[in-house]
Amino acid sequence: MLTDITIGQYFPAPSLLHRLDPRMKLILTVLWIAMVFVPKNWFGLLLAVAFLVLCIALSGLPGRLIFKSIRPILPLILFTSILNIFYVSGGRLLFSWWIFKVHTGGLITAAFIGIRIICLIIGSSLLTYTTSPTALTDALERLLSPLKVLHLQVHELAMMMTIALRFIPTLIEETDKIMSAQKARGADFESGGLMKRVKAMIPILIPLFVSAFRRAYELATAMECRCYQGGEGRTRMKQLHLARRDYLSLAVSLAVLALLIVMNILIDPVL
Amino acid sequence: MTVLQTENLCYTYSPGMPFEHTALHDISIGFEQGELTAIIGHTGSGKSTLVQHLNGLLKPASGRVLLNGEDIWADPKNIRNIRFRVGMVFQYPEHQLFEDTVEKDIAFGPRNMGLSEEEIDQRVKEAAEFVGLSASLLKKSPFDLSGGEKRRTAIAGVMAMRPEVLILDEPTAGLDPHGRDLILEQIDRYRRKNGTTVLLVSHSMEDVARIADKVLVMQHSRVAMYDTAPRVFDRAAELEEMGLSVPAVTRIFSQLADKGIADHDAVYTLEQAEQAAVALLKEKGVTVC
Repeated sequence: MLTDITIGQYFPAPSLLHRLDPRMKLILTVLWIAMVFVPKNWFGLLLAVAFLVLCIALSGLPGRLIFKSIRPILPLILFTSILNIFYVSGGRLLFSWWIFKVHTGGLITAAFIGIRIICLIIGSSLLTYTTSPTALTDALERLLSPLKVLHLQVHELAMMMTIALRFIPTLIEETDKIMSAQKARGADFESGGLMKRVKAMIPILIPLFVSAFRRAYELATAMECRCYQGGEGRTRMKQLHLARRDYLSLAVSLAVLALLIVMNILIDPVL
Repeated sequence: MTVLQTENLCYTYSPGMPFEHTALHDISIGFEQGELTAIIGHTGSGKSTLVQHLNGLLKPASGRVLLNGEDIWADPKNIRNIRFRVGMVFQYPEHQLFEDTVEKDIAFGPRNMGLSEEEIDQRVKEAAEFVGLSASLLKKSPFDLSGGEKRRTAIAGVMAMRPEVLILDEPTAGLDPHGRDLILEQIDRYRRKNGTTVLLVSHSMEDVARIADKVLVMQHSRVAMYDTAPRVFDRAAELEEMGLSVPAVTRIFSQLADKGIADHDAVYTLEQAEQAAVALLKEKGVTVC
């Protein structure tokens, strides 16, 4: 079913990660990306993975959920890894057949890249799992607000994102309903060739567009009725405050990053 | 004869997830040939989940659904045929219209059944007539119709498949009183003519009292009551405890009975109320013109 999609889904739980300030979580995610790409040796990578495991433990999310977030991109990971096995030369030649040559270097790079991508995805899905979409866009708006100087419509962008995110589940539900209704009239989405399948989507897409436009008009009217005029002079119901735990988590992350850099200097890179 | 039957039907949404929620719990009921059964219950009581099992849109977690004594999931490949035999009109069915003419939209179901063009044409005309859509509307775009007309187009789309069982999920929701009367009347006429078994999910007790033979009351994913309409409405106190109501006229007459003014007669529809009121006034010596 369509409802099985978990990307960007929020899972409420009473954990430390959930309670962190969303702005800090965004910054930490950026730091995490650095942490994934800095290590050039196995020990560094191991430290990064250990840090990730700690974060997962602190998030209080079930392990199944974490696995679910990487499942859709597993083919991509496999593809890049396999490509790397054959492309990267260096190290000892292990195996050679026709134009395919496998070096130890290729194997190591493949493993390294695979682990990096998995870490990257899990890390960023931790952000979306533990932060509600509204909190996330709120944080984004605050973090980008210095760009107002450049006349960037930060509030409008954030509002658009909020609305888009807000309507994803609604539209998924709507799609499910329309699919059921058309199935009840004998529509068949599962069999036939490519053209037939594309054609079979028409009875879903047209009603979906009609309803999306209807919802958009209704929402616009409702917003105007409440005198919405954009970000100018707007105050907030939920004020964000940085707490001690936010500074602490930043300090820990920076320390890990610093340690990773030191390890890079002290330990020889794998390649 | 029992047309459609469920045996120990259970269903759970998102099993194993934080949002896990049991929607049906051990439902075993049967629907008789030609009867109109109204399904009532609170939002979230499992009505919609139940009806979606009856035409195979949802697959039971455990238990069976039997159509004429045969398990509808006996051959999963055959489930499309089951959907033609058990027609389902969803809530706000006008949101599913997509073709460029009303005629083509009604023909979508019959065409999926693989019928001949003449047969399709005939069925479309017949179904359109049943729901009172004039021939001039058939060539129009469904998006140019009024709300009530759109709704009737969508209902005609299912009727045109000539299902043995017709399920309607709140067919009168959001319509004006006239549109609502019209649709109920058409459904009633349709089933009397074709002997179709009809299931009607509804929130309106007035509608239910007017056309239902039997009433199925759902509460907390279980069957709370399943009996003829008068017998269910007799249990007004229980219904009210569940947060459901009985028709307004029934309430008035039961209060009159409590005060010792009227007999505790079964009064469920406006027509019955009129008769009962006239009889009561005559009894008191008031002349009624």
